[in-house]
Amino acid sequence: MKVHSIIGKDIPRTDGRAKATGQAIYADDIKLPSMLYGKLLRSPVPHARILSIDTRKAAAMPGVRCIITGQDIPRITYGNWRLFPGTQDEYALAMDKVRFIGDEVAAVAAVDRDTAEAAVEQIKVEYEELPGVFDVTAALTKNAPVIHDTSPTNISIDRKIAYGDIEAGFAASDYVREDTFTVHAVSHAYMEPCACVAQSDLDNRITLWTSTQTPYIVQCLLASTLNMRENDIRVIKPNVGGGFGGKMELRPWEFCAAFMARQTGRPVKFTLTREEELAFGRRRHPMTIRSKVGYKSDGTLVAKDLHIYLDGGAYNAMGPTATFLSGNFGAMLYRYPNYRYIGEHVYTNKPPASAMRGFGAPQTLFAAETQMNMAAEELGIDPIEIRLKNAMVSGNELPGVATISSCGFVESLKAARRISGWSRKRKRLKTGRGVGIGCYSFISGGVFNWFNTQYPFSAAEVRAFADGTVHLLTMASDIGQGSDTVLKQILAETLGLKMEDIRLTAADTAMTPQADLGTWGSRVTLMAGNAVLDAAKKIKEKLAGAVSARFDLNVIFDIEFADGRVFAAGKPDRGMTFGEAVAFVQKAQRGEPLVYRGSYTPRGKGLVSPAFSFGAQVAEVTVDTDTGQIQVEKMWTAHDCGTVLNPMAVEGQLEGSVHMGLGYALSEQFVMDGGKTLNTTFLDYKIPNAADMPPGESVCIDTFEPEGPMGAKEAGEGLVSPTAPAIAEAVFHATGYRCKDLPITPEKVLKGLGKL
Amino acid sequence: MPVPQFDYIAPKRVDEAVAALVEGGKETRVMAGGTDLLVKIRHRMLFPKRIVSLKQIEGLDAITFDKNTGLTIGATALLADVAAHRSIRRYYPTVADAAQSTANVQVRNMGTVVGNLCNASPSADNAPTLMAMGATVNITGPTGSHRMALDQFFQGPGITALKTGEIVTSICVPLPPAGSGTAYYSLSQRGKLDCSAVGVGTMVTLKGNRCMDVRLIVGACAPVPMRTLGAEKMLIGKKMTDTLIRKTAQAASKETSPITDVRASAPYRWKIVAVLTIRALADARKMALGKR
Ligand SMILES: Cc1cc2nc3c(=O)[nH]c(=O)nc-3n(C[C@H](O)[C@H](O)[C@H](O)COP(=O)(O)OP(=O)(O)OC[C@H]3O[C@@H](n4cnc5c(N)ncnc54)[C@H](O)[C@@H]3O)c2cc1C
Repeated sequence: MKVHSIIGKDIPRTDGRAKATGQAIYADDIKLPSMLYGKLLRSPVPHARILSIDTRKAAAMPGVRCIITGQDIPRITYGNWRLFPGTQDEYALAMDKVRFIGDEVAAVAAVDRDTAEAAVEQIKVEYEELPGVFDVTAALTKNAPVIHDTSPTNISIDRKIAYGDIEAGFAASDYVREDTFTVHAVSHAYMEPCACVAQSDLDNRITLWTSTQTPYIVQCLLASTLNMRENDIRVIKPNVGGGFGGKMELRPWEFCAAFMARQTGRPVKFTLTREEELAFGRRRHPMTIRSKVGYKSDGTLVAKDLHIYLDGGAYNAMGPTATFLSGNFGAMLYRYPNYRYIGEHVYTNKPPASAMRGFGAPQTLFAAETQMNMAAEELGIDPIEIRLKNAMVSGNELPGVATISSCGFVESLKAARRISGWSRKRKRLKTGRGVGIGCYSFISGGVFNWFNTQYPFSAAEVRAFADGTVHLLTMASDIGQGSDTVLKQILAETLGLKMEDIRLTAADTAMTPQADLGTWGSRVTLMAGNAVLDAAKKIKEKLAGAVSARFDLNVIFDIEFADGRVFAAGKPDRGMTFGEAVAFVQKAQRGEPLVYRGSYTPRGKGLVSPAFSFGAQVAEVTVDTDTGQIQVEKMWTAHDCGTVLNPMAVEGQLEGSVHMGLGYALSEQFVMDGGKTLNTTFLDYKIPNAADMPPGESVCIDTFEPEGPMGAKEAGEGLVSPTAPAIAEAVFHATGYRCKDLPITPEKVLKGLGKL
Repeated sequence: MPVPQFDYIAPKRVDEAVAALVEGGKETRVMAGGTDLLVKIRHRMLFPKRIVSLKQIEGLDAITFDKNTGLTIGATALLADVAAHRSIRRYYPTVADAAQSTANVQVRNMGTVVGNLCNASPSADNAPTLMAMGATVNITGPTGSHRMALDQFFQGPGITALKTGEIVTSICVPLPPAGSGTAYYSLSQRGKLDCSAVGVGTMVTLKGNRCMDVRLIVGACAPVPMRTLGAEKMLIGKKMTDTLIRKTAQAASKETSPITDVRASAPYRWKIVAVLTIRALADARKMALGKR
């Protein structure tokens, strides 16, 4: 095995210091001369026709510079599925109708925030209220109010997957069970609310600094909605305080900032409040999941029939992708010879759901893993044993979808069993205390191209300098997950340089190489990492040639890159410093700089993802059977993320996942009254606190993913899924109460135990 | 609308503060730590024109203890100070525990016990224990000073018995009688560090195993922190057995009138009042019997 000097080491985040000392610049920190402040007027009603909008009083207020409504902007819809324009169902500002409480109706730009806020309240909108639907059942009843005329059934999109013979599968099963699970919406709750600043220059070109996971997508969609050329829009991603899937689309404030900047000739800033984020923001899809599974009596899986309704809220957002992925997550962990999936994305008059860490997996796997635990219980098989029997292994196929090139699931199950003391605890825990297991598999980026880009999925440019430094340019977006650090690590390791030798420019659509589809679906390390490797390989080729020529080396010699030097393998004196080698190449090229581009686009990798991660998690809980309160005592995790490029970074992802999974399982939920979100502060939207975090222990299973950079694959997104089913099973083990509808609140526990 | 603009004054003496309040009238607010007040202003639930801070008034943050007169907690004494105070921990451990169970480190380092009471939230974590222990409130206003039982102080959610221009300068808690025991239990959705969905505070005084006196106060289940007098009556003069504690707890639960809100449903609260009452009474009994 190759010994690495930077890969596999605990390299601190290169942005850590700036963030900890408050020097990191986020979108809201940006202030430009004569900048205006924007504020959105939002619909107070869940479903209505707009009869009239009167902006006169607001426009007359001193300090108000610009007011726009749907009537002022091009009538062009947007959405991330450009390949299917029918799915693009959103306008930056409502045109004729509002479809949820919070739907954006108008925008004001004024000289300061207070004036903008005051002006928004002076805009008079006359609505003709329409009946609304607030859950999937209501939306699908006959004669339900229609939310979008283009979808008379309120189903905006459906996806199907089928292989094997499902009916024959059930007929051949010894044990069949059918369950319905419901899961709820939760907030991304990124620490940084959305913010952006737009500037229009004298040539009418737009620069937009925005808190986004997908600068390239924002650039393209902003261009199309403004009727401008892509290259006339420059999107820059400053530091971003988390996204988790909630910042991967063009959003109304980005459009309004750009539009009003062009209109006024002055920069315009929007910053959302936490209340706006919680009341109107994107969220994880609530789902109703009907699942029928068939087993042989020895626990071998035979068939699965899965039907999921996604409660999409008022617009598609990233719902179509979630609809597709949910079906894949339904059969990714285990071998199902016969499988059928139908996913239906349903409109309701609520804030749109969208992508959120796991992209359908937390919901689907809560159902699948809970059902697996129920089957194990009834078949009298240990929950880990039944999983080992059915677990995916390297080389297994997801029929018609992909072949799994590396898989450490079996090892994960065994390691989780070992470190948690599972076998002992399953047998001997007193009532009120229990252990449970949940597992996951996840994608390392998507291979689908519904955005219909003509560019590579990821790209990198490496410029090498005679002073021994390099400059890495990439459109990959670090939104706090640490990809800048990991990409630098990959490059430094490959070129034999130190972290500090690398300058990074990232996520500026006018300066960094086209393109990158953004940060979502755990695609960055694998895809951008491969692009960096591709560029680095070309640089190395050149430098190796230089050293070879300079020392008149036999062509059979390998050239090594280490410690800032380039030299003949085994003959360190036949070589020079990295900088000298660069200078040598440049001279040979008569001054041309040493610059190479690399790229990555998955090809021949099926329909879902180039690589798959796996893992198992055990939770131990104590349940107070009088109050129903659940205390998670400890979490044990064993997971396969391929080569661990940076253990500290992976650990950070794991802890964040457990924290998010804990909130999803136990305490986070939107309290809704029809279409109105009632808990709009962190006082009542209950994210676990630091004090609520259980201790944990983890093991990384050593695998090598051939498609990943240096063998790496996804880490940290899939991990958000096993926590809820593991806790739910532990609660069952402790009390006998089985939760099939998240979150597991104390009230539900008491009801389940017949005490309420 | 934007966050309201207001004047901020920080007088050095209580009479100056009272004068400033009288002059300002209804649109003036007293501020101690500001952890309730400023949040409400920020959320546009209050629009004061003037804020009178008590922080500069010398001695108002004093915590004094005397075995004869009992405990006095000044208006600007911090939650954190009360939680850590040696005499309080020794003679009033439940008062310290309740302060410690309020909010988080940051809020405890800014917020005050008196502010927690004056804010008059039905869920105020410090109210049940202090009411159970028979605390009184010292009030100074334009017409002079007077004292009032904490029982009488709460009038409704966010409403106290204070009249315009009046300030609470301190609260007094008498020395707990011999043979007494106290306890406070609270519960919230999120485990630790959260606003209480239900709180129960009690003080029992025992002679042998017989209950001579008891006060039982339930938080967050009525418009004010509420004394459950019917439940108390069931205990007085009786042997405090587990069975009687359970019956009393049921009765206490019936006396409350919780609502369903974003924090918990009414049926759950009813149930939890009973559970926490059992725990609080059992704990207080233990302490009274010298076993805690
Ligand atoms: C994040 C967070 C968590 C919290 N968690 C809890 C919790 O778990 N439990 C809980 O009970 N509370 C909680 N609170 C509420 C609050 O922190 C407490 O009520 C705190 O004790 C208030 O004290 P203060 O000094 O900050 O009051 P202030 O905000 O200064 O004042 C509160 C009110 O009382 C009035 N007032 C203050 N002092 C006097 C006085 N001497 N005379 C007359 N009127 C006065 C003010 O005018 C105001 O109306 C929380 C608050 C926050 C922000």
